[in-house]
Amino acid sequence: MFSQNGLSLDQAPPLSVIFRFFFLGSLFGILAGVLLFFYQTEIFDASSTAALTFTHLLTLGVMLSFMFAALFQMLPVIAGITLTSPVRRANLLIYPFALGSITLLLGFNFPTLSWLYTLSAFLLGVSLLGTIIPMLSDLLKLQNHSFSSKGMAAALLSLVFVVLLALYLLASLSGYVDGSYYVPVKAAHYSFGLFGWIALLIISISFQVIEMFYVTPPYPKIVSMYLPVGILFLLLGSTITAFFIPDIWILSEILLALLLSAYALLTLKRLTQRKRPLTDATVWFWRMGLSSLILSMLSILILNFTELSLLKPLSYIFFTSFALSIVFAMFYKIVPFLTWFHLNSQGYFSAPLMHEIIHPKTAKKHLYIHLATIITFIASLFFSPFIFLAAALTILSFGWISYQIIHAHFLYKKTQKSGEKFDMGSMN
Amino acid sequence: MIKIPLDVRELEHPKPLELAMKILRELNETNYLYILHRKNPIPLLDFAGEQGFQCLNKEDTHGNWHILITKNKNIDLQTLLNGSFDV
Repeated sequence: MFSQNGLSLDQAPPLSVIFRFFFLGSLFGILAGVLLFFYQTEIFDASSTAALTFTHLLTLGVMLSFMFAALFQMLPVIAGITLTSPVRRANLLIYPFALGSITLLLGFNFPTLSWLYTLSAFLLGVSLLGTIIPMLSDLLKLQNHSFSSKGMAAALLSLVFVVLLALYLLASLSGYVDGSYYVPVKAAHYSFGLFGWIALLIISISFQVIEMFYVTPPYPKIVSMYLPVGILFLLLGSTITAFFIPDIWILSEILLALLLSAYALLTLKRLTQRKRPLTDATVWFWRMGLSSLILSMLSILILNFTELSLLKPLSYIFFTSFALSIVFAMFYKIVPFLTWFHLNSQGYFSAPLMHEIIHPKTAKKHLYIHLATIITFIASLFFSPFIFLAAALTILSFGWISYQIIHAHFLYKKTQKSGEKFDMGSMN
Repeated sequence: MIKIPLDVRELEHPKPLELAMKILRELNETNYLYILHRKNPIPLLDFAGEQGFQCLNKEDTHGNWHILITKNKNIDLQTLLNGSFDV
């Protein structure tokens, strides 16, 4: 999809690989909405099973699936990495990953069945590390790095830590280790997950896509060069120091909040410097995501100085809004383009145009659904029955995405089956 | 040779590719597509190459890319480029 570094779609995986990960992520999102009807506002109590399950449904099930779709697509074209046997590789990841995620969620809800933790650790450990480590190894071998590829390497390294730390936590829960480091390891696990993996990957990809998609000036070199590596080292340093000084995370969180807020403000400014100020839904998804990031970081900052109980759940809601909004923005750029371009590359004259695959108005409707979802989550903090509306909107939001994937898939297959091929190259 | 100019420097991705591919379908032996782009459009060049078009891509000192694509294999695109712009 992205052409800057002299690479082409020839190296990219088949469309089905990308679609499968997007679809899996959407199904996990629908499941999250369904479970909300049962868990209700208990999800805002961080120590509850509901919160643990809901958080992992969103971070592991939704975000990781969507981000694997992006990685399988972008590693070949941004970083020039040829993923050998992409279909086989995707299959080896997606099935054990899906099963491992479900087993883990069941484990949280049935903690007496410790074999569920063992099984999920095996399935997730093997599938995730078996995919991430070769990707990371290929990235580290690159001769010519872009800022994006360096950032992606930092994000993938964070993901390796997330998985390794999770394996320790699961081993503690299963009783294989005594769990004496459970508390600092848990803090490192979610910090690497939220800041090192999710935020860092979004930041790294934005260095490339904001300028290209929205024709903005590039990010300042000092930001694109040092921000990802700075976040990674801050997380690594804090993890090690926390074994001796547990309160170090307070200082780290303040620094991370300041860094991420500065990034969000800079990106919002870049979006005001677009050469063609035509605003589609994806720009609004970015704006919503970046504003949510600022609000989430602001909540974290204030939390360090006050005891206001509402701030914690607000920081969770805003961080979720940040990650999901940007994932949706990328989805609405990636899916129509890839479907259209794969068909054109195959020579189909009757390939549907991008706006026929997903109409801009469809993306805008989803923007309103997504915005309403976030607002109702916030409202449920003040008036708990709103959580039922939030649950219904979550199902609608991910159902909307699922439908777009199915629609694009059927258009693709229909064109391949009955489409008219053009022959521009009579000289071939 | 008739030049079909296309300045996509201020268009958002993937509009440049969409417009260029539309024009490619209509090219014949007597014309060529001249694109001014802020990036080197590798997917387009790959696609045009696979379809048997003759392509030339050059970056100028301002960082703009000049892309020439024709169906006519007997035309020297470098000469056409030199006549159009100092790169």
